[in-house]
Amino acid sequence: MMIAALNLLAMLVLGAWLAATFDRMAPALWGGRARGPLAALADGAAMLTRPATGTEKPDAMLRIGAPLLYLVLAAVGLAVVPIGPAGALIESPVGIVIWGSCEALIVIAVFMHGWAPNSPFPLIGAYRYAAIALPVMLPSMFVLIAAAIPAESLSVTAIVESQREVWNVVRQPLGLPLFVLVGLTLTLRGPMDYADGLDLAGGTSAEQGGRGRALWQMARLAMLVAFSGMAAAVFLGGPLGPVLPGPVWLWLKTALIMAVVVVLGQAVGRTPPANMLKLLWVFGLPISFLHLVAAGALALW
Amino acid sequence: MNASIIVLILVAVYTGWRVFQADSMVRATFALLVSFIAVAGIGVILSVPYIGVATVFMMAVEMMVMAIFMVAFMMNSAGLNPMSMVHQEKPAMAAGLLTWLGLSAAVLTSRLPDNPVPADNRAVRDLGIELLGDSMLTFETGGVALLATMVGAVILSSRRGRYGPADEGAQPPGLMAGGAPAGRRPEEGGGHHHGHGGHDMGGGEMGGHDMGGHGSGSEAGGEDMHAGHDMGGQDMDGGHGTGGASMADARPNMTGHEAHGGMEPGSAATGGADADDPHRAHRTAGTGGTSQQGHGAMGHSAPGAGEDARQEHGPADDPDSHRGDKRR
Repeated sequence: MMIAALNLLAMLVLGAWLAATFDRMAPALWGGRARGPLAALADGAAMLTRPATGTEKPDAMLRIGAPLLYLVLAAVGLAVVPIGPAGALIESPVGIVIWGSCEALIVIAVFMHGWAPNSPFPLIGAYRYAAIALPVMLPSMFVLIAAAIPAESLSVTAIVESQREVWNVVRQPLGLPLFVLVGLTLTLRGPMDYADGLDLAGGTSAEQGGRGRALWQMARLAMLVAFSGMAAAVFLGGPLGPVLPGPVWLWLKTALIMAVVVVLGQAVGRTPPANMLKLLWVFGLPISFLHLVAAGALALW
Repeated sequence: MNASIIVLILVAVYTGWRVFQADSMVRATFALLVSFIAVAGIGVILSVPYIGVATVFMMAVEMMVMAIFMVAFMMNSAGLNPMSMVHQEKPAMAAGLLTWLGLSAAVLTSRLPDNPVPADNRAVRDLGIELLGDSMLTFETGGVALLATMVGAVILSSRRGRYGPADEGAQPPGLMAGGAPAGRRPEEGGGHHHGHGGHDMGGGEMGGHDMGGHGSGSEAGGEDMHAGHDMGGQDMDGGHGTGGASMADARPNMTGHEAHGGMEPGSAATGGADADDPHRAHRTAGTGGTSQQGHGAMGHSAPGAGEDARQEHGPADDPDSHRGDKRR
């Protein structure tokens, strides 16, 4: 228990730093300027020292509540990921449903963050995000249920165990790509960043500076760690692997998913929300449903 | 365990009370969400993990949708003015009290089971067999049929829209009498709506006009004709360009032609005059156009004619060029 708690803390803090560093190194892939491992820390420190900005009649409780909720959701989401044979910090027979609840509450957290400042751009970001993120919940649900079918359990530990022979990324090839789409939405990145996009001058963060902004960014990075840990557990076998101890495998796989999400987030452009909504309902939903049907058929066969 | 249940009950009651104290719809909704989550936590502690956790995500999504709709439909959604969140207080109090008394009585008077179910007892399966037996397939088929009926009912009831049948291209009325349809137009077929908003709309409305306002302009001749053009200049020039070629073609082409409508009334007039000769109309309208983008969209043979086009405008503005109208 103690080890799992320490691992959770270390993964959140170090993982957030690693994600921020990936963010600063990724531009090198397309000829941009890469920045070193200290740049993320310097940027964070600079953000902390900047003064907080205020707006007229903000909803102060939601304003501080939104980043805190986002951060807590990242911690809870990561806590259901098993770090080894001993299981997870929150070992539950319905671990995957706990993760799903965290996903649904993320939409609330982001909406709160956009609502609280009482300002147009954050509010538009909040509405856009809610409109996009709610239909993204459906592929997420189908993908996770499909992963639970071979395990015959909703427990994440059981899902990891079910991948001892073959990983879900092989058995259910559509699962990971669809889940990465969900991850981009949950972490407000690139093609799915309808909340904090530059086209809205920062969206839900447009009116925030100083410590509040730093907390929000930290929560986003922590959420990337939590999502990557979950994706590693559900599709890449989590702590399963030869030679190295379980937690190390989980860290490596988490870092790999994190790098993929960071690169996709920076390399893929964002389409207008109306297009994305259409894509999600007309293509995303049927594809994820077919994925679920295929997983079920494979399990029966 | 008992302590945490008591804490969760207190949280649920407190946040439930806050729902009616908050001014802001969003705060009220999220307070209700916290109340539900506290109840879900009680469920988890009382060993119904699935129902407890599922309550959280169902309520999260529901409250999100509810917050959006309440903000959309309430007049004072953000709590910027003081507002009472309660109405019909006395009947509501009476109903709440009665419900509470009834539930409490049910809990206190019923004999709760005290023999634990063995772990290998397949209680859920037995319950399912007991409820449905062999009719599971019938039940599921009925469910899908009901869903299809619901979708069909929505489709049928939404066909008759506010401005006419939805499947026949219902359009709202114009802002002025006979004007272009109000509201945003869907982007189809290229959609080069670059800056000439007025022209585009004219194109849509006149849609290959048969000498509508334009014909009268040329009959008036001389000075008045220009007036006529100016009048049309806002609404119709795009339409002239359109009239040139898209009359015979499909409407979606229009957007491409609109770009040719150009700024100059004269050129547009020429385009309109040759409505029955699409090729010529292309040419005249095209050279009259001042927009490279328009040329590209058309894919016709007057690329880079920007400067020349301006010079050719002169004659186009002459009354002579409008003889075409009369000829037609």
